Amino acid sequence: MLTALLLIPFIGGLALLLLPSSVAPVRMRSVAIVFLSLQLLLSVALLIPFDPSVGTPQLVEFTPWVSRIGLDYRLAVDGLSLPLILINAALTLVSAVCTRDISQRPRIYFSMLLLISGAVNGAFLADNLLLFVIFYELELIPLWLLIAVWGGANRGYASTKFLIFTAVSGFLILAAFFGLALVSGSVNFNITPALTENLPVATQLVLLVTLLIGFGIKIPLVPFHVWLPDAHTQASTPVSVMLAGVLLKLGTYGLLRFGLGLFQEVWPLVAPWLAIWAAISVLYGSLAAIAQSDMKRMVAFSSVGHMGYVLLAAAAATPTALLGAVFQMVSHGVISALLFLLVGTVYRKTGTRDLSVIRGLLNPERGLPLTGTLMILGVMASAGLPGMAGFISEFLVFQGSIQAFPLATLLSMVGSGLTAVYFLLLVNRAFFGRLAVTPVEDPVAHGRLDVQLAAVAPRETIPAVALALSVVGIGLIPSALSRISDSATQLMAQMPGGMG
Amino acid sequence: MNAHLPLSIQLSWLIPLYGFSGVLLSLPWATGWVKRNGPRPAAYLNLLMTVLGVAHGSLILAWVQQNGGVVIEWPWFETSGLDLRIGFDLSLTNLAALEFVTIMSLLGQVFALGYLDKEWSLARFYALLGFFEGAMAGVVLSSNLFLSYFVLEMLTLSTYLLVGFWYAQPLVVTAARDAFLTKRVGDVLLLMSVVALAAWAGSLDFEDLYAWAAQVKADGSISPLLGTLIGLGLIAGPMGKCAQFPMHLWLDEAMEGPNPASILRNSAVVTCGALVLLKVMPLLQLSPVAIDVLLIIGTISAIGGALVAIAQVDIKRAFSYGTTSYLGLVFVAIAVQQPIVAVLLLFAHGLAKALIFMSVGSVIATTNCQDITELGGLGPRMPATTGSYLIAGAGLTGVLPLGCFWCFGLLVDGLWANYPWLVPVVLLTNALTAFNLVRVFRQVFLDKPHPKTKRTPEVNWLMALPMVSLAVVVLLVPLIFHRIYPIAGVEVVSLFSMVAVVVSSLVGVVIASGIALDKFGSRSVFKPLRTLQDLLAYDFYTERFYRSTVVAFVAFLARITDAFDRLLLNRFVNRVGTSSMVSAEGLRLAVSGQTQSYVLTVLLAIVLLLSALVWWRAA
Amino acid sequence: MPVIPAEQVHAGPYPTQEELVQTLLAGQTLLDDTPDHVIQVVDVLKSYGEVLDAYSINLIYQAEEQFLNPFPVLKYLDGDLSPAKLWRHFWHDRINFEYAEYCMKAMLWHGTGGLDEYLDSPEFASNCEAIIACKRRRDPLQGLLHPLFPQFLPELIRTAATTHALGQFWRIMSDLFIDLAEAEAKGEVSSIAGVVDFIRDRLVAAAGNPITYKVRIAGQDFWVLPPEAGLTFLVDVAVPYVEAVFLRGTPFLGTVSFNAQAKQISADQSSFKYGALYADPLPSMGAGIPPSLCMQDMYRHLPERLHNWYHNCTRGEGDVRVKICQSFQKSMFCVTNAAIKGTFPHPLDSTDPAEQEANAAYANAWASRLVVARTNALG
Repeated sequence: MLTALLLIPFIGGLALLLLPSSVAPVRMRSVAIVFLSLQLLLSVALLIPFDPSVGTPQLVEFTPWVSRIGLDYRLAVDGLSLPLILINAALTLVSAVCTRDISQRPRIYFSMLLLISGAVNGAFLADNLLLFVIFYELELIPLWLLIAVWGGANRGYASTKFLIFTAVSGFLILAAFFGLALVSGSVNFNITPALTENLPVATQLVLLVTLLIGFGIKIPLVPFHVWLPDAHTQASTPVSVMLAGVLLKLGTYGLLRFGLGLFQEVWPLVAPWLAIWAAISVLYGSLAAIAQSDMKRMVAFSSVGHMGYVLLAAAAATPTALLGAVFQMVSHGVISALLFLLVGTVYRKTGTRDLSVIRGLLNPERGLPLTGTLMILGVMASAGLPGMAGFISEFLVFQGSIQAFPLATLLSMVGSGLTAVYFLLLVNRAFFGRLAVTPVEDPVAHGRLDVQLAAVAPRETIPAVALALSVVGIGLIPSALSRISDSATQLMAQMPGGMG
Repeated sequence: MNAHLPLSIQLSWLIPLYGFSGVLLSLPWATGWVKRNGPRPAAYLNLLMTVLGVAHGSLILAWVQQNGGVVIEWPWFETSGLDLRIGFDLSLTNLAALEFVTIMSLLGQVFALGYLDKEWSLARFYALLGFFEGAMAGVVLSSNLFLSYFVLEMLTLSTYLLVGFWYAQPLVVTAARDAFLTKRVGDVLLLMSVVALAAWAGSLDFEDLYAWAAQVKADGSISPLLGTLIGLGLIAGPMGKCAQFPMHLWLDEAMEGPNPASILRNSAVVTCGALVLLKVMPLLQLSPVAIDVLLIIGTISAIGGALVAIAQVDIKRAFSYGTTSYLGLVFVAIAVQQPIVAVLLLFAHGLAKALIFMSVGSVIATTNCQDITELGGLGPRMPATTGSYLIAGAGLTGVLPLGCFWCFGLLVDGLWANYPWLVPVVLLTNALTAFNLVRVFRQVFLDKPHPKTKRTPEVNWLMALPMVSLAVVVLLVPLIFHRIYPIAGVEVVSLFSMVAVVVSSLVGVVIASGIALDKFGSRSVFKPLRTLQDLLAYDFYTERFYRSTVVAFVAFLARITDAFDRLLLNRFVNRVGTSSMVSAEGLRLAVSGQTQSYVLTVLLAIVLLLSALVWWRAA
Repeated sequence: MPVIPAEQVHAGPYPTQEELVQTLLAGQTLLDDTPDHVIQVVDVLKSYGEVLDAYSINLIYQAEEQFLNPFPVLKYLDGDLSPAKLWRHFWHDRINFEYAEYCMKAMLWHGTGGLDEYLDSPEFASNCEAIIACKRRRDPLQGLLHPLFPQFLPELIRTAATTHALGQFWRIMSDLFIDLAEAEAKGEVSSIAGVVDFIRDRLVAAAGNPITYKVRIAGQDFWVLPPEAGLTFLVDVAVPYVEAVFLRGTPFLGTVSFNAQAKQISADQSSFKYGALYADPLPSMGAGIPPSLCMQDMYRHLPERLHNWYHNCTRGEGDVRVKICQSFQKSMFCVTNAAIKGTFPHPLDSTDPAEQEANAAYANAWASRLVVARTNALG
């Protein structure tokens, strides 16, 4: 069953590549959507055999592969990876559906999208370090292509930056794993704390720090976030959705699975530093977001801030905090995907994302009222307003962390307050006031009467509405998610490294 | 679930849902799905849900009066480390507050049908009112701090949306933002305390927290610093909600919103905030500092608010600052451990203030004007509006034995023994309020008709009816008090207090009757007086103060961070990038269109990597 | 952030005051004479005519049948209490009579012209006295309130009088606009100049129509606006209406702050520029924009031809009500144009220099007000 989760997107991607290029782009999108819907169905169906009361990896599928180097084909799923599998399936589908401009090489575009989704599934399911690395690397190049080929004007710079940073990230992770194998003398790359059992503390620390930097680039944490805002601003909307909603989660997933999971002995040693790092990331992301006038850059910096909560939770490693980390990964995935979708809609209709230019989009007849309404919902969710996904996630993270790291937690909460500042600036500037899409400095043009934006067709809003509903759904019925993850996070917290 | 409880109580979870369901019911009109027909059915449906809410609340209230209060809970979110529940404390006070909130919402909604009769976005307005009402019902009934926080924050959101209702109006844009952010500051501080309490006390149930606080106080198991911080956080939330100094600015700006929402905001919402404070009150024993802060803030707000109010020329703002002032007195009452007086004052103030805002709404609807210097002579022509204003004024001050008279009497009595220095605060607030009411009354209702008030027919029945009904309720407040709390009556308030309250009111009335009325845009020629006038009219320049401190500080940090990010970090990365051996030129091939070859390259790279691995392991 | 002034809201170019004077004196139309404009103006006025018909009937019904009724719950039903009508009323499947009342209130509040003067006259006061004396005997509430609030009932009677007068005014305008559409359908009118002349001729013809109003209380008739008052259609109602609704208007809560300290609203009503010729059509159907109600009413009566025309521009059906508002503004410029043309002190082709000067002064007075209006709608 888990293998099928890899096969569906990979076969889909291959099938698309083999389609004759004469096939209409819309058809190609339909093919991609069919495969992605299948993937989503299968991911949801995974809930049936999945036993939520078991915290350890389950539904294991094992085939010896290149056992000589410790590379085995070993897949498993647990409460940590299952929500991310679901998010991946859902958001890739959303990405495909919301792809509008598909005139340019649709075949490759959609096959890359499917390839990424399959690779991400592989990384989340891999129960073998090397297998994880392979999938982790596998997702990298297609994404780079998606930015470099289908991106904005400055895509060359942004995609190169992305590639270099994430390649380094992959390299560091690989190096840490190899180093681990080298020093432990094991040929076993299965994920077990036993790997680090007899290593000297200093060695463990070196390996852990290497790993942390590797994943820190991907998450991204300050100061390794430099690639993210550029990548987002140059990437097209669907790619941003994938990047923010799914791919950043690889970093936090790795942090929890391999950082906390493998290095339990030294984890408490680095945890206080991680908490400080988290608080810095949160505040840095929030403050930088305030200063942005490009809506997409603002959302990108908010990601930097919000992923910091996951690091905070990982540092505290209490059952509540770790559950909060899972919640935060899921809710950040859904919320940031929603926000990027909406910013994308604004950009497509107005031709700009500049907050000094756009005004009054709530105008019911000529503006984008539904987009505005969903945007208000999205930013409120992101700012942690109760009843939506962001609140319960942040609450769990903060509540789980405050006793271990009171100061870092309080600072992170300040960051959560700052989220409201920049997102309110965004909403009030772009959506309130009189409708205008011309620079404010040119008052004559700014007050134009004949502002004519294309309407958003009801069909175009379906993905955003679906995401908004799930944001509210998770916020009101969080137990649906906690039921999946509670055992796994509890188990993780009870390991020696955890505080449970 | 307790099966022996009557159905009305078992179904009490419905109570906030009556309001919230209004949101869903309004959607077809609010979103424009219904294009040919007008939005009024949404309003009627909301009214219907509110009536159901009032009826359900009354049923429960009647049962609880007979059988005593119950706490009723439903599980919401249970994990290995946490158990969050939805719990309602169906006590007499809470249910009285619920009735207050729902009836206020009902009256406000009927009033809005008249006030907003030419409003095309009516459905959205009623959806927001429904949300507002649901959140308020949740706040007053909540039996645990988590739920209280949850719904308080929803209240913040609905305030933002209601103030932002006329989103295209330029001042609304900033007003909505400031209202949200100010309240949010309080909320985040409150959240810090909630999170801390959840971690240290292990439960967020009010009863458990009270027991925990008592135990901690006895054994000193948490540090005084932590206790103080928790206490300060707990009062920060209600401070923001109740528009207390220094977080009062938003209420002024929130007056940009529609008047029916202002009615609710100045009566019901602030009451909700204060009720939360009452509920966390027993926890403040952790921290004497927090209680002192409460007392100081209450005092400053009471007098500061009343002073600022008398310098306002905007008719809505003249009374919204009074809200800050009265809630300041409520804070004082809570700080000096007089919860019953606090509750009575909340009700007396809430009803009278709602009435005065209805009257003000009538004036604005008739004259298209909020500037009291441009108004005048409405008295002989608008009986319902004038009568309501007078009754509300009497209910707010201690001049006639209506609601606030008894509250002030009780408060003075309560303060006399331990806090005699606070008695003048109460009396001064009362006198200033009386002054303000008479000043506005003379200017708006007496005086000669001005151009904008030459033709002022009384408002339509949809506004007049709720106004007159509420006026009757305000007149009956002493009776209601007597039924709920038999202690409030002539027999308990000392003669001295009664005399003090009446005299202080009369002083205000007499002075206000004597002063010269403002002409449009007029200011005193006497410079010190003018300076004082401006200081008060511009609210002690609070807005300017914030802009040059907090706002400037955050903006500065944001700019610094951004500059660091762009100028240092990115530049450094670019420098390293260009000098590194990874040539951007080579990678730019992708753009040139040979993507297929790139996929091959990638696959090749992975194969190579794996081969290297095999080779390395083998070696 | 200030309210966006009219001169910053561009669509077409703004004519200068001099150009406006020239246009008026030359007898040309303000609105560009294009076939598209003819469709827009004639059809929007046709739907407006149908809406005004309903407004007029209802205002007259309210003034006559709901006179001093303290709870006029069913005032919009015109006395028809059939279940079907009640249901449509509840379901808001109806004309928004609230807008008619809004215009009436604007007229009453601005209080200009002959009708308003009469409302302050001793004759009117004595009419009121007679009515109130009769009313007080049968209504104890009013009997009680009148001595306490002596201006209460007279003010309501003034309101009713304005309501009735506006109803009579709109009766004529409604017939005019519907006839205009018929004339255009028959080919009698085919240009904007023709439209302006048609309206002018009808306004001039109706100028002297008397405006009267009487109420029936307990089987007894009372004059509120008696024929002796000599109130006539054009100068006593139409001109104040144009002043109150086309030119001055009242500030919209959705675009202007009422905050006294912000001082966005002038203290002097005569300098108000919120009327139909000044309003920004873009926020139509947004929150706090009362004319949205009228746009909705016209939308429900939109002629097929104009509806199809709208379908082919901008968002089609999506922003149709903003487009109606834009067309409506154009057509209101036409009506204003016709009114100016019909009220020149002397014939435009006069050769007498004194008469020419008087005409020029008259044109200039109008141009000075129109030059800051949204004349960009004219192009």
